[in-house]
Amino acid sequence: MRLVIERGELLRALGHVTSVVERRTTIPILSNVMLKTAGASVEFKATDLEREVIEQANAEVTQPGAVTVPAHMLHDIVRKLPDGAQVELKREPDKDRLTLTSGTSRFALQALSAEDFPDLSPGEMTHSFEIGASELKRLIDKTRFAISTEETRYYLNGIYLHTAGHALRAVATDGHRLAQVEFEMPAGADGMPGIIVPRKTVNELHRLLEDTGASVQVGVSKAKVRFEIGTVTLTSKLIDGSFPDYDRVIPKNNDKELHVSNAAFKSAVDRVSTIASERGRAVKLALDADKLTLSVNNPEGGSATEEIDVGYKAAAMEIGFNARYLLDIAGQLESDDVVFKLADSGSPTVVRDSADATALYVLMPMRV
Amino acid sequence: MTIRQLSPETINRIAAGEVVERPASVVKELVENAIDAGARDIDVVTAGGGLSLIRVADDGHGMGPTDLALAVERHATSKLTDDDLFDIRTLGFRGEALPSIGSIALLTIQSRAHGTPEAHEITVARGAKSALKPTALNRGTCIEVRELFSATPARLKFMKSERAENQATTEVVRRLAMANPQVGFSLTTGERASLRLPQAPPGTDGHLARLGRIMGADFMADALHLSGEREGVRVTGFAGLPTLNRPDTAMQFLFVNGRPVRDKLLVGAVRAAYGDLIPKGRHPLLALFVDVDPPEVDVNVHPAKVEVRFRDAARVRSLIIGGLRGALDQAGHRASASGGAATLAAFAAVTGVQGASGSASSAQAWSHSNSQSWRPSRPVHAPTGFAEAMQAPLTGSFAGFDATSADTSPIAHAPAPDLLDRPLGAARAQVHATYIVAQTQNSVVIVDQHAAHERLVYERFKAMLATGSVTRQGLLIPEIVEVGEAEAEVLADHSMDLAELGLALEPFGTGAVAVREVPALLGDTDIQGLVHDLAADLLHEGASKRLRDRLEAVCSTMACHGSVRAGRRLTGPEMNALLREMEATPNSGQCNHGRPTWVELKLTDIERLFGRR
Repeated sequence: MRLVIERGELLRALGHVTSVVERRTTIPILSNVMLKTAGASVEFKATDLEREVIEQANAEVTQPGAVTVPAHMLHDIVRKLPDGAQVELKREPDKDRLTLTSGTSRFALQALSAEDFPDLSPGEMTHSFEIGASELKRLIDKTRFAISTEETRYYLNGIYLHTAGHALRAVATDGHRLAQVEFEMPAGADGMPGIIVPRKTVNELHRLLEDTGASVQVGVSKAKVRFEIGTVTLTSKLIDGSFPDYDRVIPKNNDKELHVSNAAFKSAVDRVSTIASERGRAVKLALDADKLTLSVNNPEGGSATEEIDVGYKAAAMEIGFNARYLLDIAGQLESDDVVFKLADSGSPTVVRDSADATALYVLMPMRV
Repeated sequence: MTIRQLSPETINRIAAGEVVERPASVVKELVENAIDAGARDIDVVTAGGGLSLIRVADDGHGMGPTDLALAVERHATSKLTDDDLFDIRTLGFRGEALPSIGSIALLTIQSRAHGTPEAHEITVARGAKSALKPTALNRGTCIEVRELFSATPARLKFMKSERAENQATTEVVRRLAMANPQVGFSLTTGERASLRLPQAPPGTDGHLARLGRIMGADFMADALHLSGEREGVRVTGFAGLPTLNRPDTAMQFLFVNGRPVRDKLLVGAVRAAYGDLIPKGRHPLLALFVDVDPPEVDVNVHPAKVEVRFRDAARVRSLIIGGLRGALDQAGHRASASGGAATLAAFAAVTGVQGASGSASSAQAWSHSNSQSWRPSRPVHAPTGFAEAMQAPLTGSFAGFDATSADTSPIAHAPAPDLLDRPLGAARAQVHATYIVAQTQNSVVIVDQHAAHERLVYERFKAMLATGSVTRQGLLIPEIVEVGEAEAEVLADHSMDLAELGLALEPFGTGAVAVREVPALLGDTDIQGLVHDLAADLLHEGASKRLRDRLEAVCSTMACHGSVRAGRRLTGPEMNALLREMEATPNSGQCNHGRPTWVELKLTDIERLFGRR
């Protein structure tokens, strides 16, 4: 194999694929990225056995072939090369080394055979649809904070993507709070199976979406999901489990409505929670006619109170929430009129932008 | 085949199978008899691992000829009055031991009843009783067992090596000796005198001295006395400091009414009491003596009586935990004295190499101190006058210390002299920005600042945890945990206690519970695993510390992050404040991982290092 590639092109491709490669692996070849020539381009492929990323880059191929080399090392080398440099990659057929030459720099990297590189075998995608990159990004942005990190409830370790009525809906929950975002169902998604996209895939996808404004081609089957973003293809296994019946826990009859400016609310919560230095400290919301009093009491650190003017007509009540959870949700809300729908101090509360019905959050209170 | 009544010999041999498992069991039965007979000195001799000879001689009240003849009959005993099995005040009571032994060996009993002029002897040869005949004996009873198991060759094949049997015998005598400090014991196995324990003086110190002879000198130095009593149950004994620990539970002894027993109750209670004071997988040393009214305990559970059953196990357990906790809390900042000894030993080893060219007499002293077995005996307090005389030049030298050494930051001003009287003394310097060197009237104290401060912060968090209620995070989707019927029931019974610690759960059908709220401190946690573990603890031990442990583990991590790190320079007032707080805080003698937070080098030991003593 022998090819010459421009440094920027190589860096872009490696940047897309390397982050999927784990730093420490028990199978040596999993630390590697596969380079494979295809006509006038070269294909980069990296995997952690759960997901793989494939990227195409233009190159001047003089001799076709395939090889795998340590991904992070190659990425680091290329990053340190000067801008605009031409990089030559060459592997003698009978040698287990890939030589990289650029200007006066010369590297020889330990190579492993491309034949041994694992293949995720994407299989047949039963449904496929197109979705705008910004819409997909919003879907992820607004839900991923609620993904559970607790490994025993593995079925909560991802975003549940499914159709609901005429909408494509994403839901994530860790059992303490829940985020639900939806938008109009794209053509082709009708009848697709509900899938749980694992957290690492979600994060990879989010990263890949940053660079693009185009649309994304999504393929879905019972066991895998594939996202085609420009020249990058991300294929991932799904979490094999059933997502709980989340709709049951979204309260429908909460009658106490609280309207508040998000900016004011967010900064007030942020200020009072300074006192709640450790995790698990509650922010108390005391509601009275058109007045909300936020307070935190920490016997070690002191206490904080802040009052904000709100729209509230129902009976006075008090409710406590985890400060971090409140901030997480406030960070997702955009409008200046946020609605809290409450029932009582022990029941779940619904939070959403009043103008936007496509995103809603459910938060379970704390008891002190 | 027709059914027929077994012969008395066969019955006795079957009983022997239960009572006499190995030579050590014979020793146990005979020594217990001697103790029950009020002996003050008991001499045990075995040969051939106990198979060829076991002889137990005591100076107890002995037996007259009629008693002697009856003693070798099955179910004949002097120890059970009015046939009341529920009021047992002696070690033995079943009346099985002597006839059982007699049925499988050559048993000779010589005895002279107290105050009578003549002694008698009776022999039982593999079940065949001889006639009574007069013999010569000064006092008490002497029982000889020869050719043990000669009537049951099958059992003979199961004997382990002579050494293993000797070890088991030694263990039996040691355990009995621990419970009976006022009795002198001597044990000779084969040619070797393996145990010589003189009668210990009465009182706590005497008892500790006896325990020290058996459990090691370290235990004697680091033992805390505890005693507690509640509703007819009395727990006394000695518990080792947490910093004195070992990888197994072999040095944990429980005695119920003077009877050495093995009980998992002890294991659970010890774990609960030592909790976060001891590293995982390490076990403290202790010897506990539970005295209960005989009707409150059933000792007739096991033929060899190694197990007992309490009528109210939970009370005994809580009393043990309470007693241990109390003793440990009182110990406060005390850390293992053996830590200091180990430090000194290390000192001695290093200096020993350099000082090899010293004078002949000191060279001899060094080689002595280099040997592994060397441990300074517990330092005696130096007379105050002498200590003060030593004080002056030391203080002077520190005051004149110039701070050229970058690693040492001495305190320039002289501390108030009364600080020297405090247990941890006055801070003198910080070395390597990690250790505080403090001086007391008669020792030098070295404190690991991070470990010590971490413990203080942790204890503060724990106190907060104990006083304030734990905040609970509600769950959107209640977690259903399938645990099994018995477990679900016991969890439901304890739901109030659990709710106090932040875990709200309720029964959910048969064999399952629904968890509705979890302690907010734990964050996103493995609820299934936690509930399963809790259920198992509650079911088998009647109580669980697991939830509290988990919360305390979080506190411990927070404490680690919130405490003064190694490498931080501390000023004099800061160091003294740390020392004073350590003195005032319970359990500050070890860090959260069970390592000592400070060691003390006694002046006398330091003097010994320099050959001044």
